[in-house]
Amino acid sequence: MKPIHIRKLAAIIDVKGRALFSKNFIIMPIFSLGFTFLMQIIYERASGGMAGMNAYALAMGMLMNVSMMGFYCTAAALAEEKEKNTLRTLMTSSVNGLEFFLGSLIPVVLMSEVVNILCVFITHVSMTPAQWGAYIAVTTTASVIAAVVGMILGIFSKNQVTASTITTPVVLVFMMIPMFTGFSETLQKISMFFFTGIAFDAIANISSGLPAVDIKGIAVLTAEMVLSVFLFLVLYRRNGFER
Amino acid sequence: MHEDYISISHISKKYDKDLVLKDVNAVLHKGEILGFLGPSGAGKTTTIKILTGQLMPTSGEAKVLGIDCCRIDERIYEQIGIVSDSSGVYERMSVYDNLKYFARLLNVPLKNIDPLLKRIGLYEHKKKPAAKLSRGQTQRLILARALLHKPKVLFLDEPTSGLDPSTALEIHRILKELKDDGMAIFLTTHNMEEATKLCDHVALLNEGVIVEYGTPEEICLKYNRIKKYRVQLTDGSRHVLLHGADTTGRITSWMNEDRIETLHTCEPTLETVFLEVTGRELQ
Repeated sequence: MKPIHIRKLAAIIDVKGRALFSKNFIIMPIFSLGFTFLMQIIYERASGGMAGMNAYALAMGMLMNVSMMGFYCTAAALAEEKEKNTLRTLMTSSVNGLEFFLGSLIPVVLMSEVVNILCVFITHVSMTPAQWGAYIAVTTTASVIAAVVGMILGIFSKNQVTASTITTPVVLVFMMIPMFTGFSETLQKISMFFFTGIAFDAIANISSGLPAVDIKGIAVLTAEMVLSVFLFLVLYRRNGFER
Repeated sequence: MHEDYISISHISKKYDKDLVLKDVNAVLHKGEILGFLGPSGAGKTTTIKILTGQLMPTSGEAKVLGIDCCRIDERIYEQIGIVSDSSGVYERMSVYDNLKYFARLLNVPLKNIDPLLKRIGLYEHKKKPAAKLSRGQTQRLILARALLHKPKVLFLDEPTSGLDPSTALEIHRILKELKDDGMAIFLTTHNMEEATKLCDHVALLNEGVIVEYGTPEEICLKYNRIKKYRVQLTDGSRHVLLHGADTTGRITSWMNEDRIETLHTCEPTLETVFLEVTGRELQ
């Protein structure tokens, strides 16, 4: 395993983090926050202020955020590096694959988590410190998995347009299926095997005072984390970051 | 005795069934410029990619700073600089921030950036976003980034291609300075004037094969089989004369009569040598 130089990692995180505030990417967290705010207003009015509906609005916002930030921002950022030829330049400037991987992943996950936390305040969902811990742990895990999958999609994207085309169906599947579990038992069953579904259910559980995730949920999150990292490593070894 | 910074020994490269490099040999010493000269598709960029560890050779051995190119890892990039057509800049970042990013990656003190920008002629544009630079300025920024860590070996893949003559001249001036500072420069180009002016040695590459190797003067003189002189007289008449006793007599007589405006030998250029050897144009 190649060593990680903190100096290089910090430089990459700094630049990648600033890139997330560019107009190409900042729209994603703003959209997620706006969507959460809108959902909160709609459900509050529709339900007459039921506490469970605020949690539902939070779950919707969190799903939107994890999917858009995790999948799209990571894939598009990698595709942009390829499109502008800066990836090749970085790789021939003493940056190794692991440093680039972590440097790309960390800012996305951090920003995604900040938005997830802001969503809690927007939806006025109250949590105990333990529930906060569980919420942050589950949503961070979901963000990491989404970002790793985003990197995999980025490997296959030559430019930002391709990244957008490739990520859209993935975003829809991982976002829509948990969102519509209430309408179909089949979707409910499928959703239980998605990390987004586990995170979605975790918010409902927190709101009902239940443990956020059960053993099965932890197993699914762990398995999908391992699988996504494994798949990334296999593809990276075969193709590098450029297919 | 000069140090070998690059040694290429019997390198070949195959893409599927196409042999794009065939038994290529060359050496680059400290403080020298080696030019790989050839038309598009001759194998110049493939050679650079092999030397910089971006491609594996099918056979043969190449070493950069004593390290086998097949075993190159990212540490070698702290000692070499690369300017190629696939080098990019961060367009949203300023000129200074672009260099600052790479300075942090390469552990270069930030105080080195301003002198480099002055040397490369971009100091006045240091706060400008890279997206707003002209093509020539962008190329200079890429060159500055490649020079930031004072590499021992600089790889340049068609560095002046598509640039206006004044920017190209400016880059030539910088390259000569770097050479004088002891940097070894591996240059690929299809511009024979550039190669003649800058390179200590050139390899004429055609379809992956080195068809001639030596100093530009050696190569040109080797093909100077029919010696000719081009004379322009003060009355405006022009004459091309074959070397011989008659010609010597005529030129001497014109000189005595003070009638010669200009007098040139007509040895071949690298371009005409390339044409003679391969039957192909360089451009």
